[in-house]
Amino acid sequence: MKAFGRPARLVALSALMLMSAGARADKTLYESMGGEPALRAALDHFADIVVADDRINFTFAEANMAKFKQLLFEQLCNLSGGPCKYTGRDMRTSHVKLKINNAEFNALAEDLYISLGQAGVPYRLQNKLMALLAPMQHEIVTK
Amino acid sequence: MKSPLTIPAFALVLCNGLCVHTALAQLAPFENALLPDSGKLPLTAGFNDVDGAGGAGLVPWALITGYGTANSWGANAHYTAIQLRDFRLRSYGVAVGALDRIEVSATRDQFDVTGTALNGLSVAQHIYGLKVRVFGDAVYDQDSWVPQTAVGVEYKKNSGISNSAAVGLDGLVSPTQLGALSDVGTDWYVNATKLFLAQSLLVNATIRFTKANEFGLLGFGGDLNRNRSVEFETTIAYILTRKFAVGAEYRDKPHNLGVDDERAAWDVFAAWTPSRNISVVAAFVSLGSILAPVTKQSRDQNGAYLSLQVGF
Repeated sequence: MKAFGRPARLVALSALMLMSAGARADKTLYESMGGEPALRAALDHFADIVVADDRINFTFAEANMAKFKQLLFEQLCNLSGGPCKYTGRDMRTSHVKLKINNAEFNALAEDLYISLGQAGVPYRLQNKLMALLAPMQHEIVTK
Repeated sequence: MKSPLTIPAFALVLCNGLCVHTALAQLAPFENALLPDSGKLPLTAGFNDVDGAGGAGLVPWALITGYGTANSWGANAHYTAIQLRDFRLRSYGVAVGALDRIEVSATRDQFDVTGTALNGLSVAQHIYGLKVRVFGDAVYDQDSWVPQTAVGVEYKKNSGISNSAAVGLDGLVSPTQLGALSDVGTDWYVNATKLFLAQSLLVNATIRFTKANEFGLLGFGGDLNRNRSVEFETTIAYILTRKFAVGAEYRDKPHNLGVDDERAAWDVFAAWTPSRNISVVAAFVSLGSILAPVTKQSRDQNGAYLSLQVGF
């Protein structure tokens, strides 16, 4: 009897974990990260960090940062399942003139990680968002 | 001014890219590809395994070592110490990664007996490695199941056994006297590495074709098996923060020698990358039983693994 006890408990526990995972999946990444307040806060930090980052700040030399933040908010909100529409240009068109290389792409990703952390988004969720952004390397990096 | 090529490679690596950067900027101000960009994200350059290849502690990854991106290059030096129950393995070497495509490495392993009746016996080997990324990008290809895939080759030259007279084994100078067929061997491997970013998981699988006994420290081939065998190796790591990960590894090894009841190696590790210039890996490691019929010590050789990696 006892031999069946432990596997049975494990099965029950696994089923519970799957159910709770399913329940979590109902919530969008956007909501889990803290919705609009968290994302806006992260992007405020982000704008400050990138203009101070010598690796990439020259790419923002002629940028309107308010517009940049708004477009990035729309894009991240949309990608993470939030109720937003991205009104900006596609990634290739908006970056091609900047001749972005891999180190610059990664530096921007690193700054976004730091910004999300400063806005209280847990690392696990930062990675979920980054997983949606990483494939954009193919369009953004042209050098 | 002195060419950076004349500076010993180790010193070149230890100055953290800064002096290389400066030297190359003066030599070739217009050739940006010569400048190390240190452009990868922290942790994504991996570490160095006991054979010197970019990977974790025991298993090579398909990632190209160093923090250089596809636009540049990077390099590092590592020093690893493993203290087991009756043995100590020290590994040190340098590795260079170029264009996120090619990796070359040179490493020396020194293996000392620190317990049993053979206490004091020592053996060393040199390992020269080449790895080429074939396709896929472990980090960027998050929209695809295709892993980053690489092929590699490791040429290993055993430099013999020393101090044998001290343990009453006068004349024992080569692993061939223990039954190994050769003191040189070449490993071939194919590996696939995938970062499942949404799950914060890195998964690596390596298939190795090898004759090496205990990584080559006890020579190549033997009385039980003359030929290469196919061995499986894997790493799974969970990334806890941008700079800290924990994981586990498993590496099958051949069993070619009658005097060595060789078994698989495994470890559980924690890796910390405070900056792109420095990484520390600590692990609990088991290399299985080693030379048990000779040492009369059949318990598994478990112990501590500590590795420091410096580079750019």
